[in-house]
Amino acid sequence: MIFNIVIFPGIFYVLLWTVALFWFFRKFIAALHKRVGPSFNGPAGSYQTLFDLSKLLTKESITPDGVNPYLFSIMPILAATIAMLPTAFIPWTQTITVVQSEYALLALVVLIGIEPFLLFLTGFGSNNKYSFLGGIRVLTQMISMETSFFLSALSPALLFGTLNLNAIVEQSSWLSFLILLPAFILYFIALLGLLDQPPFNIPDAEQEIVYGFYTEYSGTNYFLLKLAEFSEFMAVFAGAATLFLGGYKGLFFDGFIFLFIKMLLIAMFMMVIRASTPRITMKQMLHFSWSYLVPLSLLNVAWIMLAKIYLLGSLS
Amino acid sequence: MQSLYALLQMYETEYIEDYKKSWKKVKLSNAEDLLKVAKALKANGLKTIATVSPTDFLEKNIIEMNYFFEDLISKRNCWLKCDISRELDKCEIESITPLFKGANWHEREAYSMFGVKFLHHPDLRPIIISQDFYGKAPFRKDFDWDAHEANTLQNIQTIVDAFKTEENENDKGIDAESSETVLNWGPTHPASGPIRLKVHCDGEDVISIDPDIGFVWRALEHLVTKKDFIGAIVAVERLCFMDNINSMIAYAQAVEEIAGTEITEFAKWMRVLLGEVSRISSHAMGMGGFYNALGLHTVAMWNMDMREFFLDFLESYSGARIATAAIEAGGVRYGLQENMLEELQLALDKFDATKDDMRAIFVKNPTMKMRAAKQGIITAQEVEEYSLCGVVARASGVKVDVRLDEPYAAYDKINMDYVTQKTGSANDRLVNLFEELEQSVDIIKQAKKHIEECIKSGKFNPTKDHMVKVPKKLPAGEAISRVEWSRGEVLMHLVTQEKATSPYRLKMKAPSFNHTMMLDKLLKGQTLSDIPLIFGSLYICQGDLDR
Repeated sequence: MIFNIVIFPGIFYVLLWTVALFWFFRKFIAALHKRVGPSFNGPAGSYQTLFDLSKLLTKESITPDGVNPYLFSIMPILAATIAMLPTAFIPWTQTITVVQSEYALLALVVLIGIEPFLLFLTGFGSNNKYSFLGGIRVLTQMISMETSFFLSALSPALLFGTLNLNAIVEQSSWLSFLILLPAFILYFIALLGLLDQPPFNIPDAEQEIVYGFYTEYSGTNYFLLKLAEFSEFMAVFAGAATLFLGGYKGLFFDGFIFLFIKMLLIAMFMMVIRASTPRITMKQMLHFSWSYLVPLSLLNVAWIMLAKIYLLGSLS
Repeated sequence: MQSLYALLQMYETEYIEDYKKSWKKVKLSNAEDLLKVAKALKANGLKTIATVSPTDFLEKNIIEMNYFFEDLISKRNCWLKCDISRELDKCEIESITPLFKGANWHEREAYSMFGVKFLHHPDLRPIIISQDFYGKAPFRKDFDWDAHEANTLQNIQTIVDAFKTEENENDKGIDAESSETVLNWGPTHPASGPIRLKVHCDGEDVISIDPDIGFVWRALEHLVTKKDFIGAIVAVERLCFMDNINSMIAYAQAVEEIAGTEITEFAKWMRVLLGEVSRISSHAMGMGGFYNALGLHTVAMWNMDMREFFLDFLESYSGARIATAAIEAGGVRYGLQENMLEELQLALDKFDATKDDMRAIFVKNPTMKMRAAKQGIITAQEVEEYSLCGVVARASGVKVDVRLDEPYAAYDKINMDYVTQKTGSANDRLVNLFEELEQSVDIIKQAKKHIEECIKSGKFNPTKDHMVKVPKKLPAGEAISRVEWSRGEVLMHLVTQEKATSPYRLKMKAPSFNHTMMLDKLLKGQTLSDIPLIFGSLYICQGDLDR
């Protein structure tokens, strides 16, 4: 258990993931930008993000005047902790699942869904106009994106008749992948919204409201918020891979490496969208979400039910 | 032109002259007639005012006002002058802003720099200058710069105090229960550059915008008067670093006109070539900046990658990549060597290799269309009313381009046409920008071909023909010179005195000034998300905004 908390899939793993993914994002988007990206420190600049994060850890965290210092400083810790918790429910390999639970999927979804609310509170507690606007935007985006996120994330549960993630992975097959494909697409779009990624990077739109809820944060607090963001990436990517892409199941053998590759593929796809799509506005996001995404998610639930009865009739 | 002459004859004038092909130069005897003449000119079709430029004549104890009226449709222009008293309390003239909305900030600038009071101006506050210059009219010939700069600390204190007062008063008068607030968009904002927009907003909705400019004011128009005619080009090219060649061409043309120098054919073609390279360098940045404002940096990076090749050419030609100082009165500064054109060919190839990707992914981007096709619409009437020019005017379907309207350098021998769009939305400005990039590349190809052919046939001697001598001392005179700068029309009004070794007065009318004026009108009632979009689409450079 202690190994699980400290090393894998606990704190050390999350830190390593944060540092490595940060570097990977920078390198990957640099290639899309026709740039070089970090290149001086270490092989292919891979130490760069390590140095960046250690620099942030050692810098002074400035608490601005007129804020509640407890709320201001406790939110990043809370955000990082809660963002790390879902890793405990993910079946990383056949044997490693820290918390075996019949309700793992529910826990995963709830823990992911709570995160934007914490970010809203960081913005709310910053006593800054930009942060406040950013916080409001996070909340608006959360409300409009989470409906379809929940509906699409719960589709596998509906199909397989269980909330246990291990059972979902074991039951998954090529056929179930095809049936869940619409749900996966909806999940991916909602994921872009939840993670504030382009074209839905409205809450921290730096050209509009400086840095949204991040604006007043610096040093360790900023590091913790970034850690929370990247842990959130991990939870959401791992959730997608587990729910729709068969988790650790591989081509010739099963193992953690396949889960990891699937997560990276999702990350790369997200980056390609980031490099080619400008930001949309709040109004357009709301319109898109409530006029298209939510109705489609409901239709998807109907599709899953029909597929379960007529295509997988033997399974139920 | 005849109707214009008849119209002007109805008033008491000192002279009415023909100037260049499309200009009438008039001096009114009474400054009181100004408003009447302006009204008549407007009714006659001259709906646009390029700029208002006072010239301070210390010895004659007058300030001479220059108004440049333009008709964008039929290309008739009128240069109107009148004298007013120089004494601060009597230095006033009727404002033409109620008639010509585009004159608004130009009159405020004249008020700040020369202390000319414009009667019945709707909003006569100082602009560009910082608080320590308020009421001191720094561009007047008797303003003591040294004395002003002697108490720098006091000046800084004035600015700080003014800022603090403003900060305290910002939220006063706003209902504390409502969600109204005042946001600063700039000057240290990720997308703003050195400009501050005071955004009065209600949550996400913009109520009004008051641009505060002048953060990069270098007093270039004053600086040139301290330098000789050649030294002045380094001040002129700093109008905006992105397109420095064309601003130098405008200045050099004005000097040549006063000196009566005719430059060689080779130098004319070189000006076309260099000017278009500079335009590409600027447009590439402008397109990138537009997308940067929407949080997408790929376009800027791709364009930078392409632009580097054009800068390579500038470097091999002049030794500098950005501030080239390559154009001076009398021609172009350096001769041309053959390997330089090879370098240019590399750049052209690079552009051709990337343009299809660029068009497919970014110019026709569906998300961009969704965002920008209905935003920031400027109609053709507004273009005339607010004196807009360049890409912004052409995207609204107004056929205006100084290269065609009043051809300079060798543009009369170039095969080109107006690049226009229809609706004048932000998206149209983006598309227009890209199409102008392609047009510039086409012009470069024509110019390059012509230069190569003429060198081969021995018509041009590329190492000797580039300069003719311009006298160091110029006679008294004045000239205006217009060029199509990358952001629009640049009009330079140069005044010299007898045996002058440096300009007496140089007014630079720069396009971003007018475009920034539009922000409040375009953004009222929109949301915060539209600020970077519209700001980016207007292709504003703070360098020529503040000068």
